[in-house]
Parts: sequence; structure tokens; C-alpha cells
Amino acid sequence: MTDLNKLYKQQVLAHNKTPHNYGEPDHWTHHAEGLNAICGDQVHVYLNIEDDVIKAAHFAGDSCAISMASASMMTELIAEKTTFEALHLFAAFKQMMSAEGLDQAETVLGDVACLVSVKKFPSRIKSALLCWYALNAAIHGQATTTTE
Amino acid sequence: MLREAFPCLHQQVNGKDLVYFDNAATAMRPQVVIDAVNDYYCHNNANIHRGVHCLSGRATDLYEQARGSLARLINAPSPDNLIFVRGCTEGVNLVAQTFVRERLQPGDEILISHLEHHSNIVPWQILCQQTGARLKVIPMNERGELVLDQLDELMTERTKFMSVIHVSNALGTINPVKELVAKAHAKDIPVMVDGAQATPHLKVDVQDIGCDFYTVSGHKMYGPTGSGVLYGKATHLESMPPYHGGGEMISKVTFEETVYNKVPAKFEAGTPNIAGGIGLGAAAEFILDVGIEAIAEREDVLKLYTEQALKTVKGLRILGEAAHKSPVFSFLIDGIHPHDIGTIIDHHGVAIRTGHHCTMPIFQFFDVPGSCRASLAFYNTEQEVDILVESLNQAKAMFS
Repeated sequence: MTDLNKLYKQQVLAHNKTPHNYGEPDHWTHHAEGLNAICGDQVHVYLNIEDDVIKAAHFAGDSCAISMASASMMTELIAEKTTFEALHLFAAFKQMMSAEGLDQAETVLGDVACLVSVKKFPSRIKSALLCWYALNAAIHGQATTTTE
Repeated sequence: MLREAFPCLHQQVNGKDLVYFDNAATAMRPQVVIDAVNDYYCHNNANIHRGVHCLSGRATDLYEQARGSLARLINAPSPDNLIFVRGCTEGVNLVAQTFVRERLQPGDEILISHLEHHSNIVPWQILCQQTGARLKVIPMNERGELVLDQLDELMTERTKFMSVIHVSNALGTINPVKELVAKAHAKDIPVMVDGAQATPHLKVDVQDIGCDFYTVSGHKMYGPTGSGVLYGKATHLESMPPYHGGGEMISKVTFEETVYNKVPAKFEAGTPNIAGGIGLGAAAEFILDVGIEAIAEREDVLKLYTEQALKTVKGLRILGEAAHKSPVFSFLIDGIHPHDIGTIIDHHGVAIRTGHHCTMPIFQFFDVPGSCRASLAFYNTEQEVDILVESLNQAKAMFS
């Protein structure tokens, strides 16, 4: 498989075409917007946090396939996790996408680990990271964030 | 063939022959420009306008010859009408702060257009904050052309300056700048034209256009980055205060007072981008040698071919279809974000730009976050356009 096919693997294309947990929910307690103005990626993350547990996570926005798939998979992964666990996953994802990398990423991040292929396209790493930074911002009560 | 004169075009990226369609971001440089920069550093390296020694004399001559070449390119009355600047951005800021600022009272108006690059919006917003003036905008239509019906109402007695882009970097629209200048001058409104995207593609004659100021960007017209010139009418340049204070722009300095140098040195404080200026002069000579008419003719053929070719891609929408435009194509493909298209076709060796192209208000008008932009130059080929179309179809297949 070429690097390009690894980047746009079926899993990514499927999440892009039919994103999970997409759209602003009726009820949410925490929200942040991730905006990469130069490339045009925009992701809103909506969390419903009860007793420090993320009961539901949704996202909305207009983004490239990498950003959409990353957000779709992230919202699935963090549901029913405590905010502490979610922040741990944020740190793990960031590490996976860094030069250092993350051992046994699949054990920690599940399906999300497939996005490691984005590392072959350095200009696109910021797209994959955007929803995670928005998650981090939402948990910490910041309104906006960017990865540019 | 002239294409051979551009060394950077001849390479492979991602295992494919490079197809360079990002000319509106920055053009390639011909070998004569690279040689001019290289020769200055290798054989004539010295500061200008201040040494009695041989090299300084040579460097000064080359720099001033470059000013003369630029004056010929845009038909300025004299080389002294041209100030070397870093690019159009600096030219706009210079005029805003040294010519327009002192003319403004709170409530006065500055007129720009919906097609402006951020560099011809933000300096005016800063000026408005400094003076209490207001920014007004000439609207555009769905085709990406300026709507001139309301011009009489937009140009009021409070309008103290107008600044408009000659050729849109995002959509390619060529604006009727001569007509705009005539209408503004009828109401005593001075006008600046941002020519960043014009000099590489069109015959520019500042005296025919009649504008008060005109900006030229070096790197868009096959010259070095960080180079450019600002044209100004002599009476304006004489009356304007300096922009930057420092060396070179003075004729006498004591601790009590400073007597400024004559125009254009008055506006050229400090050691300038000497190599860049000399390289830009070589770029102007290159365009004069090839002939801007020949360049425009070739680009018209390429433009029509590209338009037809892009229209064969199902689901592709071109933004901006002005009757008069340069070979710039902003487009969207249903269901694929521009960023993904950019990455996929880069894998086929095709370089385009994706995003808002420093013209966010244009994309707010079309209600999209950005676009793909293929911007061509005369050295591009029909075969390269075919490769673009093939790579776009592959992107579509991938996302189908």
C-alpha cells in the first residue's frame, strides 16, 4: 500500500463520509472550537460531563478528511471516560504523533492508533491533532484553540 | 523554450515530474535572475550610495539600473518615482502611514474592494483605528467581479483615499482600474493600485492607469522574495514625510535636526535588499525581453485550455468566472475538502495552494472556508493541465 493509501485508508474515508457523533447535541456542558484558519479546518467539540465523567462527546464543523476522521474516532474513544482519562488519551495521541512515537499505541488508543500513518505527511499532523486540542480546551474551559 | 530558463521547474517530487501551479503564491525564477543575485554576491558585493571604492560604485550602478528597468516595465515617468520596498505589503503600509494618515479626520472614509488581499485590508483597518476613519468596501458579484453600480454612493465627500487590487490573487479577476481611477479622480480621491498579481501577466502602464500609487511585488514576477517597488506620483512623494528614519534617507544629521535626502532615498532608510533589488531588475528585463504581450497571449491559451479541462471533472465548481481574468482557478470538488485534494495531488507531483489565500472575505462571500487554487504561468503546459485533471479524478476515485 502506498503512503497515500495508508493516509486515506478505508477506515479514515468511512469516518469522513459517515462521521460518528456528528452535530451539536441538544445538551452539553463543555465546548471548545478548534480552528486552523490557514488550512480551513474547524472542529467544535461538545462534551456532556457529569461527575467528571464524559457521558457523551460530539463534534461538528467543516474539515478535511483527516480532521473529520480523527474527531469521529476520538468522540467514540472518550465516551464514558473520566476527564482525567481523556486528558491521558490526549497526551498519548500527541505522543504517538510526535517524533518520539508511542509504544503499543493500539492498546492505549484502539482504532485511533490507525492515524499514525498521518506522520508520513508532516503538513497534515495538525489536522489530526485539532480535535484533541479542542477536547483539551473544552475540559479546561478554554473557548478556542489551534494547532497551526 | 523559455521553460528551460527556470531551473527549479525541472525536478521530480514524490517520484513524479513537478507540475508547479502555485505561481500566484510565488513564481519560479529564471536563471538570469538567479545569476544576477549570484553575480552581485560573487563579484560586486558592497554597500551602495556611500563608498568611493570600485565595488561600491558597481553595486550602486547595478541597483540604480534595476530601478530604471522597473520604471520601464511599468512606464513610470522616471526611476525616481520608484521606491524599493520589501513587497506590496510594505508599499501599502508606507502609503497608509505617510500619505493617507495626515489627510484623515474621524468619520472620513477609505474605500477598498471585496477582492482585496489581507495586505490591502489590514493596513487600512490599523489606520482607521489610529484616526477614527471608516473602511468602506466596493461589493462583488457571484462571478467574482466588482459591482460598480453603487460607486457614486460609495465615493462620498468623506472618501479620502481608495486602494484597489489590480488582479485578484484568489479568483484571477482583472479589475477595471483605469475606470476606477477616473471615477475617483473626478471626486478628487487619490488612488493606489495593488499590482502584485498584475506585472507577471499584464501590460502595466501607470501613467495610462493614472493612479497615484502602484505597488509591485518582486517574487510574483519571477524576481527574488523580499523585493518590490512602490510607484508614486512625484508631487506626492515630495510632500510625504519619511516612513522609516535611519541612514541613507538623510542629507544632514545633527543632534538638533535632520535634513532628509531627496526622493526616492528619503524613503529608503538603512541598507536595502541590494541583491533582491538587482535580481528584481533582472526579472523586469526578462519580462521586457520576452515581451509581456507574448506572455499574456500564451497565458490566455493556457487559461482557456485549463478552464475547459477543469470543467470535465464532475462535481468541480470554479469560484470566480470573471469575463476578464488571469490564469488563476479557485475551485471546489463536491465531498472532498481542499486540504485533502492538495495532499493527494501533491502525491502526483502537482503543487497547488489550498485554503483562503489571504482573502478570507472572498470565501465568506461564497460561504466556504477556502478553495483549491491552481495558478498558472506562461511556462506551464497543456500536458501539465492534463496531469492536474487526471490527479483530481484520482482524488475523486479515492473518496468515492
